[in-house]
Amino acid sequence: MTDFNALLRILTENKVEFIIVGGAAATALGSARLTFDLDIVYNRSKENIERIVNALQATTPYLRGAPPGLPFSWDVQTVERGLNFTLTTTLGPLDILGEIVGGGGYEQLRSKTITVEIAGTECLSLNLESLIQVKRAAGRPKDLEVIAELQRIRDESRQ
Amino acid sequence: MFSMEETKEQGDADFDPVIEAYKKDIDVTLIRENLRLTVDQRFQQLMKLQQFAEELRRAGSEAREK
Repeated sequence: MTDFNALLRILTENKVEFIIVGGAAATALGSARLTFDLDIVYNRSKENIERIVNALQATTPYLRGAPPGLPFSWDVQTVERGLNFTLTTTLGPLDILGEIVGGGGYEQLRSKTITVEIAGTECLSLNLESLIQVKRAAGRPKDLEVIAELQRIRDESRQ
Repeated sequence: MFSMEETKEQGDADFDPVIEAYKKDIDVTLIRENLRLTVDQRFQQLMKLQQFAEELRRAGSEAREK
């Protein structure tokens, strides 16, 4: 199980600048679909990379699907050299994304968010229109049903 | 074929007949239930569902091994 509460709490307590995207953002908006990981877009500033590295250190991040023993060091240099990381942590799967297709990075997405409160933690989550937009841009067949559900949520919210 | 309501939506910039086809199968009652919850309640429910899915997987796996 993914401990969304704990993951969001440690990110927020460490003042990491991030935006919830993907299935978790859909959940925040009212989606009934089951998602197993937490996807976030993080600010790529040097300070924020330091914060996210420190925040997640205790959760022993490792590349999801990578064979055990593969040399992987969770540190500032690794995050600076990469962009998007699909990780396993002791709190569950976590994708940290520098950019997403159709949305860009943290700065581009910052104005397209809503503030949500989860387990007493306030964080930013992608808004409905932007989530539909990035899902469309991703162009993956598996997202068609997700887009359809998000549009139904929009229809219901308008009524 | 689309209903009158859906045909009207064809003027929308994001109208997509493929998405419209998928929309027909979306359970709106579940969405309505979720929209009544707070965001926090939606996440707590998601984690319960995850736990249930994992229990089902484990039970299925054990049943196959027998």
